[in-house]
Amino acid sequence: MALKLNLVNCQSQKYPSFALPQMASLRSPKFFMASTLRSNSKEVETLKKPFSPPREVHVQVTHSMPPQKIEIFKSLENWAEQNLLVHLKPVEKSWQPQDFLPDPASDGFHDQVKELRERAKEIPDDYFIALVGDMVTEEALPTYQTMLNTLDGVRDETGASLTPWAIWTRAWTAEENRHGDLLNKYLYLSGRVDMKQIEKTIQYLIGSGMDPRTENNPYLGFIYTSFQERATFISHGNTARLAKDHGDVKLAQICGTIASDEKRHETAYTKIVEKLFEIDPDGTVLAFSDMMRKKISMPAHLMYDGRDDNLFEHFSAVAQRLGVYTARDYADILEFLVGRWKVADLTGLSAEGQKAQDYVCGLPPRIRRLEERAQGRVKQAPIIPFSWIYDREVKL
Amino acid sequence: MASATASSVSFTSLSSSLKKNQVSHLKKVSVSFGGKSFKPVPLRFRVACAAKPETVEKVCEIVRKQLALPADSAITGESKFASLGADSLDTVEIVMGLEEEFEISVEEESAQSITTVQEAADMIEKLKE
Repeated sequence: MALKLNLVNCQSQKYPSFALPQMASLRSPKFFMASTLRSNSKEVETLKKPFSPPREVHVQVTHSMPPQKIEIFKSLENWAEQNLLVHLKPVEKSWQPQDFLPDPASDGFHDQVKELRERAKEIPDDYFIALVGDMVTEEALPTYQTMLNTLDGVRDETGASLTPWAIWTRAWTAEENRHGDLLNKYLYLSGRVDMKQIEKTIQYLIGSGMDPRTENNPYLGFIYTSFQERATFISHGNTARLAKDHGDVKLAQICGTIASDEKRHETAYTKIVEKLFEIDPDGTVLAFSDMMRKKISMPAHLMYDGRDDNLFEHFSAVAQRLGVYTARDYADILEFLVGRWKVADLTGLSAEGQKAQDYVCGLPPRIRRLEERAQGRVKQAPIIPFSWIYDREVKL
Repeated sequence: MASATASSVSFTSLSSSLKKNQVSHLKKVSVSFGGKSFKPVPLRFRVACAAKPETVEKVCEIVRKQLALPADSAITGESKFASLGADSLDTVEIVMGLEEEFEISVEEESAQSITTVQEAADMIEKLKE
């Protein structure tokens, strides 16, 4: 295997090690919410000087897929054209953020804005923390397009490549771009949040990037995106439901529309992995197991607002408490994917492949058990300020 | 694919605190290190009071079960979970198993500091005092 270890970003030599305070403990649901490993390795480390964003410190592995497998993706180009691109919506048929926002060209604009703000007033701060976190995640889209273009065999080599993979990536990016735009405009108009702090958070986050540990390997990459799309589908679906509960039907429509995009994307990515399981079941099950062992890190896990060194953890805790995205969801997504890809039925696997199969199939109940135990503990959740809402306080 | 990242995990756990063995444990240590591993045997200084051998034995059993290790595999007080093949999830489940077996409740901070069988046994004794 052509494994290249890139030690450029390995921070552990330069900076003193320290126990990350309040980092997700293994036994709280946050274990699976927060980014990467906690107890055995300090994978996210803040610099000693104050007010610096966190960064990845795990050794960044590159090009872990054997080069001969790149052929597989070349040979799948026709398949991708027929089966993948169909999940894109033509632009002429696509919704745009303006469809869900007050119309500036209309005389009724000011009234529409007023109504939007009145509805938003009825929505509690903790909901806005979850919504802002989701919005910030969406707005870091450059990182995700980059990530797709790190993958061997499917990357957009020129920025305008005409391979079906490249066409998919650009069109996917274009569809996702509307999500951040829509949420940004909504939040701006709502008057409930500190836009400058949020904008700062976005600038930090895009600057930080992320390493989901997909190692330029499209097997790992598409398994990761399958998981993520389903996670965002669930998350936006929950914010939609909660918006409705709080009496804001329009916001519910916003979140629900975004969620339906995510669903369509999930269908596309899971289809790719399904095809990989068909062509190379052993390689694909090993990849699935590898990603799950490394844990699916959330795209915005390096988020930072210039004030809170544990911003992502705090945001996750709120999302967990509100039921927007929980450890239980993590287990459910995993279980769904195991079923979707019929992992339990795979045959003809190598010894390693069988171990991987056992690991992946056995993982959802283990996670659930962990989560149940964590929930069973009486915890005092602290109340902390969030700069996104002018330092108003929210319970974690 | 995972091997590169796994090695970075075990490096950080090498900086665990020093612990001293009782005489009875030294015997087990020398047996387990015979020929199989190349680890030097450092002096270990026990901070807490000594754990009963039965406790250590039970911990070994729980670890063995969690990691599906054969009955004759060498697990002693010295054994590090990570070296036995435990990932972070295994470690959490081991602690959960200990809670059930010994009817104790382990604080999250304490749980995170347990990396060896001996540390687990010591913590159990402390909690049962």
